[in-house]
Amino acid sequence: MTATTRSGSRAQLAHALALVVAIALIAVAVVLGLRAQSLRDDPALANRAQLDEAAARGVTTEVSRGLAQVFSYDWSQPGITKAAADQLLSGQAREEYDTLFASLQERAPDQKLTLSTQVQVAGVQRLTETKATLLVFLDQSSSRAEDEESSVSAAQLRVEAERKGRSWVITALNPL
Amino acid sequence: MTEGRDAPAETAEESTTGEPESSKESEPDVRPSVVVLGADDAAASSRRLRLGRWTWLVLAASIVAVVAAYLSWSNADDDPALARAELRDLAIIEGTAAVETMNSMDYRDVEAGLEAWRSVTTGVLRDQLTAIAADERQLLADQGKIATGRVVEAALTELTDRTATMIAAVEVTVADKDPAQEPTVKRNRYSADLVLVDGDWKLENLGQVPVATS
Repeated sequence: MTATTRSGSRAQLAHALALVVAIALIAVAVVLGLRAQSLRDDPALANRAQLDEAAARGVTTEVSRGLAQVFSYDWSQPGITKAAADQLLSGQAREEYDTLFASLQERAPDQKLTLSTQVQVAGVQRLTETKATLLVFLDQSSSRAEDEESSVSAAQLRVEAERKGRSWVITALNPL
Repeated sequence: MTEGRDAPAETAEESTTGEPESSKESEPDVRPSVVVLGADDAAASSRRLRLGRWTWLVLAASIVAVVAAYLSWSNADDDPALARAELRDLAIIEGTAAVETMNSMDYRDVEAGLEAWRSVTTGVLRDQLTAIAADERQLLADQGKIATGRVVEAALTELTDRTATMIAAVEVTVADKDPAQEPTVKRNRYSADLVLVDGDWKLENLGQVPVATS
């Protein structure tokens, strides 16, 4: 009788101890799990700029090429520029561009105006699966056939782009 | 030695804790005690075995949970992407501050302005700023201008473990000491080479991005 109660209480003690240890272990596991989760949810990781080099290169190349196309203009072939804009611009970028393009269309034929745009340098500020923000430095040279006058001007743009299917579409153009 | 000491301690414990119980319980029936004891023992051992199995299961499960959580945490903590993301964000913040400093100068305290320039630069650029001659300092003071640089937008074009290239669209407001004169605003575009020095990003080179002449 003495032996059983003693072994019974000992078993209970061991049981209780084991339970305490288990609870402590589970508490540690929960804390570690939460820490790990908060590390993974770090907002710094949500921005893939400089982390996903291939994606950054892809969007930089596409946006640079797109900007060169929509900001280059030949008075004798405005259709090329218009077609590029149809394909590459949408949203706010499209609306602003249309206003710009309309005024260009008015004076270009008289002046025989040609615009040629190159991207000097571009950097990705923010990048996710579907959205990107870039800072782009552009050079635009304009020449008028009549007076052989040509000038180069610098422009700085903050560009927003969205992924549509496999390609990127420019959704906002903010001159700085 | 320890066993020898433990044994009497246990017996002593037995006698002190066992006495009141045995005096209470062993009195009513002495005869069937053997049978009851045997039955109790079997029940106790089987109960202990069952308890043990559950206890072990719970313990094992919690150990597995801790190990899994630890691996998950160390994996997340060692993530090179997180370190790189933090380095990138720091480069933008400190690079921006450095470019703004380099575009700011107050004629009323040229020495403080130069000291600020030196504090955000490193290498040859810093040496050049240190070597600015007295007559040039005097010139800065005599011009009577207060320039304040502001980085409108900045982005990295390159990032390694200790170097970065940042481009920045900068707006510089220049106010004259004569309050009647309107401040002028200039827009510039810069490319800045940054180097990590003792955990801080410093400017190694700063230049305007020129317009390409084709």
